[in-house]
Amino acid sequence: MFFGITPSENPRLKLLKNVVLFKDLSMRELAVVDQMFHARHYLADEVIFDEGEEGQGLFVVLSGRVKITLPVDVDTVLIELGPGAFFGEVALLDQSVRTAQARAIEDAEIVALFRTEFYSLLETHSGIASRISFQLARVLAARLRQAVLNTNRHHEAS
Amino acid sequence: MNRELASGPVVWLGIILTTCLLLVLFQTVLWLVLPVLISVVAYYILSPLVHMAMAHGITRNRAVMVVTILLTIFLAALAIIIYPKVAHVATNWQAKVGDYAQSGAKLVAAAQKSIGKLTPFTSTAHHLKAATDGLKDKTGTTATEKEKVVTPPVVKPGAKVPATEETSVQTDTDAIDDQVAAWTNKNFGDLALELLRWIPSLLLIPYMTYFFLLDGPRFKRFLVQAIPNAFFEKTLYLFYRVEDQLRRYFQGLLALTVLDGTCLGIGLWCLGINAPFFLGGVAAVMAWLPYLGSIAGGLLVVLVAAHDFPADPWLPYQVVAVFAGVRLLDDFVFMPLTVGRSLSMHPLVTVLMILLGGAVAGVAGLLLVMPVLGVVMVAGQIVGELLTDQRILARHIHAKELRRRRARVDLFLN
Repeated sequence: MFFGITPSENPRLKLLKNVVLFKDLSMRELAVVDQMFHARHYLADEVIFDEGEEGQGLFVVLSGRVKITLPVDVDTVLIELGPGAFFGEVALLDQSVRTAQARAIEDAEIVALFRTEFYSLLETHSGIASRISFQLARVLAARLRQAVLNTNRHHEAS
Repeated sequence: MNRELASGPVVWLGIILTTCLLLVLFQTVLWLVLPVLISVVAYYILSPLVHMAMAHGITRNRAVMVVTILLTIFLAALAIIIYPKVAHVATNWQAKVGDYAQSGAKLVAAAQKSIGKLTPFTSTAHHLKAATDGLKDKTGTTATEKEKVVTPPVVKPGAKVPATEETSVQTDTDAIDDQVAAWTNKNFGDLALELLRWIPSLLLIPYMTYFFLLDGPRFKRFLVQAIPNAFFEKTLYLFYRVEDQLRRYFQGLLALTVLDGTCLGIGLWCLGINAPFFLGGVAAVMAWLPYLGSIAGGLLVVLVAAHDFPADPWLPYQVVAVFAGVRLLDDFVFMPLTVGRSLSMHPLVTVLMILLGGAVAGVAGLLLVMPVLGVVMVAGQIVGELLTDQRILARHIHAKELRRRRARVDLFLN
């Protein structure tokens, strides 16, 4: 591209560089991944996905805030996510259904990486995809550890 | 929660009507539609090569460039190899068509004679006349008359020819020749011009394939931007499913064509037919048109066999046996291995749609009906699934309401 901006100057890439999943990637590698993202804009209160839907990919928040809630109790927020956070990551690994609802709290810029495209990345740029997979495994392991600790604390308290 | 619904009769009616409308439209711009279709097929076949090159560290631009150059070299080499043969056929076109038509007529007559010998009770003139009275072809020749063509008499030049059955048969075959010659004289010029008109369109194929390979993913993302948020995830999922099916279909079809062409070529070579692999390849390509294409391809090779070996009356039957064998191999071994996971369509629907395509848009309709139906069918199913998912529709209405409210927020001053 003759007149495009270089990866290091691209503001979206700078935002993505702060995401845990992509922190091991260089700006050039991130530019390869960026070509696979689908950018979406959600208004405050708009549903991003529903519980029970077949998950197709991972969402990364670039700006705005998103809440994750359970359908039985939509007022209780499981977690609030801001810029740099990601959700729906399990769908990157398998075709399971979403276990919660995601909804924008305020206007949000979000990018989505779909499982089929991630598999394609594994074929064409296995080095980049394996580094993302490794970070994803770390995040999931940390969440599992935290869940076990919480369960233990709950048992001790009761 | 599985919200997927099977397509109902209304969706299918819409699919059939849309297919017919598109065929009528495409018929008028066939010069553009055909190269685009071939380029899309080339895109699906070549994209694994691009991915393979990218996996070795080559950038997309360079990988696409290399693959397109290789494709162009391959097509040029193919043209150089095939051109002399095509030119030879073109120069002898008029004579060849007449020869093949006459060989076909002789074959039919020989077949009738054989049947007559096997079943004497049907071989009397009265029975045959009654049976063939309704089968007068365009040349005005009946099958009973063609039967007499089998052994044309050898007549010395200048000698008076007795008015026997053989001479009347000779007159009939001459009539066929005259008809065929008149037809080729009338149409050959038009056909040659038509072929010349196609050359610029066909030159577009490598050009379009290059840009499909280079910008295909970017174009897909551009299209996806137009999908509302509520439909986004499900539509994209269906889109990828369809694309995966199409890719598998075209790649499988290519593999199937190579396998079919090779097997037919080997079979015809064993029978001693001229240019066996060329004929096998042509028949395998013709088989892309389901059911009818296989029959047409088989008939073509049978005609060639009947023409090239008139002294061997059993050869055409051996060719038919080879075709039947390869067909069985195709159905039970090759097809499940290659196109097994393609778009599933009922055989009756397939044949009816081919006939409908031919009726609506002629030869162009016959060529295009299957790919057009495949794409329209999948698009119809996607729209059907989305429009019957009440939760997605409700989310879409909710999002629209949010946008409408946002747009009106500063309009009314207190």
